[in-house]
Amino acid sequence: MIKHVKNILTSLTILAGAFGICLLIQNVFQTEALIPAVFVLAIFLISFITEGYACGIISALASVLILNFAFTLPFFEFNFTMPENIISAVIMIIVTLITGTLTTQIKKQEAIKAESEKERMRANLLRAVSHDLRTPLTTIYGSSSVILENYELFSDEQKLSMLKGIREDSQWLTRMVENLLSVTRLDSGNVKILKTSVALEELIDSVLKKFRKRYPTQNVILDLPDKFISIPMDALLIEQVLVNLLDNAVEHAKGMTKLMLRVTSDDGKAVFEISDDGCGIESERLKTIFTGYGGDNSPTDTKINSGIGLSVCATIIKAHGGEISAENLKNGGALFRFTLDAEEEDDEQ
Amino acid sequence: MNNNKYKILIIEDENNIRNFITALLEANNYQIITAESCSSGQMMFNSYRPDLIILDLGLPDKDGTEFIRYVRSENSTPIIVLSARTDEKDKVEALDLGANDYVTKPFGSAELVARIRSALRSTRIKSDSIHQSEKFVLEKLVIDYDSRRVFLDKTEIKLTQTEYNIVALLSEHCGKVLTYSSIISSIWGYNDYGSKKKLQVNMANIRKKFGATPGNDCYIINELGVGYRMDKE
Repeated sequence: MIKHVKNILTSLTILAGAFGICLLIQNVFQTEALIPAVFVLAIFLISFITEGYACGIISALASVLILNFAFTLPFFEFNFTMPENIISAVIMIIVTLITGTLTTQIKKQEAIKAESEKERMRANLLRAVSHDLRTPLTTIYGSSSVILENYELFSDEQKLSMLKGIREDSQWLTRMVENLLSVTRLDSGNVKILKTSVALEELIDSVLKKFRKRYPTQNVILDLPDKFISIPMDALLIEQVLVNLLDNAVEHAKGMTKLMLRVTSDDGKAVFEISDDGCGIESERLKTIFTGYGGDNSPTDTKINSGIGLSVCATIIKAHGGEISAENLKNGGALFRFTLDAEEEDDEQ
Repeated sequence: MNNNKYKILIIEDENNIRNFITALLEANNYQIITAESCSSGQMMFNSYRPDLIILDLGLPDKDGTEFIRYVRSENSTPIIVLSARTDEKDKVEALDLGANDYVTKPFGSAELVARIRSALRSTRIKSDSIHQSEKFVLEKLVIDYDSRRVFLDKTEIKLTQTEYNIVALLSEHCGKVLTYSSIISSIWGYNDYGSKKKLQVNMANIRKKFGATPGNDCYIINELGVGYRMDKE
């Protein structure tokens, strides 16, 4: 309904504009030669902007009538005897039909392209995941059966080290599954994410506790605003983004000595920045860092959780209507930044 | 057999999970009873009267929340819920029905044992405080209910009325996670659109006064998206 009203209003505005311009031209240049061209342009614009054919065709007919009524002799009177009027009507309708058809096709193609892009991302993710799941499962399955079947053969030390391997890889598996769950949470029926107000301080508190469980020795330097900030979000998902970005720094920023998490609030927006002073990101990799995997020839033998982790981050932030970016710092190291809309300050007690 | 051990009832349908929790808790000197379904859990509960219950929400015969309702209709045995990460709503529902705490699968052994200790401690504190004076003591945190004053490390912390009410409420349910909505309705009596933010702002002030910083708690633990819990850490 709203769409129809919008279409009609757009058509009327453009037609009125064309009519005004024509009157102006007629008065200033004292010529009628330009007038059909102006209306053809108007019709073209209308069929390009509005959806469907209806608005275009009606506007074309209206233009013919206007032309006939106002801009051909006799002025301000209808005259249907002149054959050029009929011909210009036919031309305008043809322009409308062709433009309408082309626009519809373009719109369809864009939709198909977006859909296939989504499919491609999903397929990439699945391919990567099924490979990545196999690696830790091999350790877990292999080590546990080796211990069970040859219990007496091994020294305590050997058994302990295999058990540690099992624990490590199942923790890694957990992280992977958490990321996958986040994606399915976003994908399920395209339902919009459910945002609730979250106190920034509580979010960071929860993130740091999770992070510390994984990396007890890694210090995170905090820089948070003093005032109370509340941000509408799906807390679990944004927590996942922050944990992924911090994890990513620990796993990939070689030579890192400082890991920093900084949040600033600016003009109703909360800006999150995770930066490190490690080795930075290769410029080749930087281009595709949020889209999953850097092509089919990327090495697939290593644990590349980061690929999934970062594309999950991007998906989550996009779903929140925010922006995410990555860059290298001048003095070495990398910086990831994302923004979210913060809540309006309403100073109630 | 040693009868001084705490009795813990584990209701979980996954054999492997039940086995490892049993092994872990027996190693920690608890006496374990197990059940695989809601109905056998109820039977076990009635005949053994456990000190604590570990409950998986997804059971084959009935929903785990049914079991919480059943237990809470007659007594306050602490219940720790095992939940999968995706069902945040179930978590809140279980807590509002009277569960004491939840542990998200997969969990580490240390985490589960800590939660069990904390839940058992909370019932002990409660039964003690009936006999003792109206004072709450948790390590360095002391709350004098009579004079409505709070001390941390022997220094008094000046709290506003509302802030004190929140701290006192959490202390009365020490070890138990209180959901946002349950705190809001006990403190303000009503629950409207701005209540959660009001609670969060008050909580931010309390945390500041307690000297807590993100990642470092001070007796009040924030359970993101669910609520708050008072506990030592």
